[in-house]
Amino acid sequence: MRWRHPVFVGLILSLTPIAAATGEADVSVRDAWVREAPPGVAMMAGYMVLQNKTSRSQVLVAASSSSFQAVMIHRTIAKEGMTGMEHAPQIELSPKASLLFAPGGYHLMLLNPKRTLHAGDRVDITLEFRGGLVLPVAYEVRK
Amino acid sequence: MKKISLKFGAMMTAVVLAAMLGGVWLAATYRENGSRAILLPDQVMTLFPDPKPLTAFAFTDHENQVFDLSRLKGKWSFLFFGYTHCPDICPMTLAILARAREDIVKSTVGAKDVQFVFISVDPDRDTASKLRQYVTYFDTSFLGVTGDNAQLGNLAGQLGAAYQVAITPGVENYPVYHTAAVFLVDPRARYHAVFAPPLDAASISKRFKVLRELEGPQAT
Repeated sequence: MRWRHPVFVGLILSLTPIAAATGEADVSVRDAWVREAPPGVAMMAGYMVLQNKTSRSQVLVAASSSSFQAVMIHRTIAKEGMTGMEHAPQIELSPKASLLFAPGGYHLMLLNPKRTLHAGDRVDITLEFRGGLVLPVAYEVRK
Repeated sequence: MKKISLKFGAMMTAVVLAAMLGGVWLAATYRENGSRAILLPDQVMTLFPDPKPLTAFAFTDHENQVFDLSRLKGKWSFLFFGYTHCPDICPMTLAILARAREDIVKSTVGAKDVQFVFISVDPDRDTASKLRQYVTYFDTSFLGVTGDNAQLGNLAGQLGAAYQVAITPGVENYPVYHTAAVFLVDPRARYHAVFAPPLDAASISKRFKVLRELEGPQAT
């Protein structure tokens, strides 16, 4: 039969989510970066684009890194004409949806880096989702 | 007659400039002292038809020098309120202002009579040396200033800027809320315009250049 053509079968196999059990296949992260801090500043922010590839919601509940004293999920908000930050205890990603962590919005607040990070460095931060999904992500430090 | 045609020519130049900006509407108003074109209405920049003169205030800059009303005279000043422990909106805005300044430097307008001032609303943590390290990282020409709460409240009040420092005993990183807008003060120390977030460098520099073209080479 025509569909048994080896190229066709190969194409079908390549589209099969064989790595469905790992975090990478469920939620992808791209454009992960951390803004380089001015000298003497111990507060940094991390940004990225999260994409939920599954057909169910994924809930980001925590982030951690051995490179910082603490990592918190924050959101810059407007309040009575002012801008401030609030802690976001959890963020839900709708099925098949993307979520942007960008300046002026959601960000990972990175407190007290254990070494000075310069533009071009890479720093690892682990994202944790409800249900035990753990996603290690390398962030590029940018100016 | 000549005066009128000059006015008309200036107005047409302004209309063309505004059309080039895209999305910026231009209207001309006539006042007793001649014509003054204003950029209206615009979601990025609000330009006041009658700029309000600021009154006395006293801060200290990052070189430990007095920064008062006289330091605003003779220059166009971009003012931004923030604090150095701010990981997101402050470095973002200062990086945008640094790029806006680069644009202005490269333009015919130039930046000789332009200054950028970061006003810390967190004087307890933001000392002069800390401010110096911080602002000069973004641009060596940037100024960092701060003062006591009465003085901060004084200038913030004059500009309609709000801030709130929620100092919490025992909490190292207490929250600070502040206006994210950028305020433009003219060389007569009058509150001339305000740029509303979300900001980007090109939007600020383009509008500033048009404003300067309209205002003429002399600081008015």
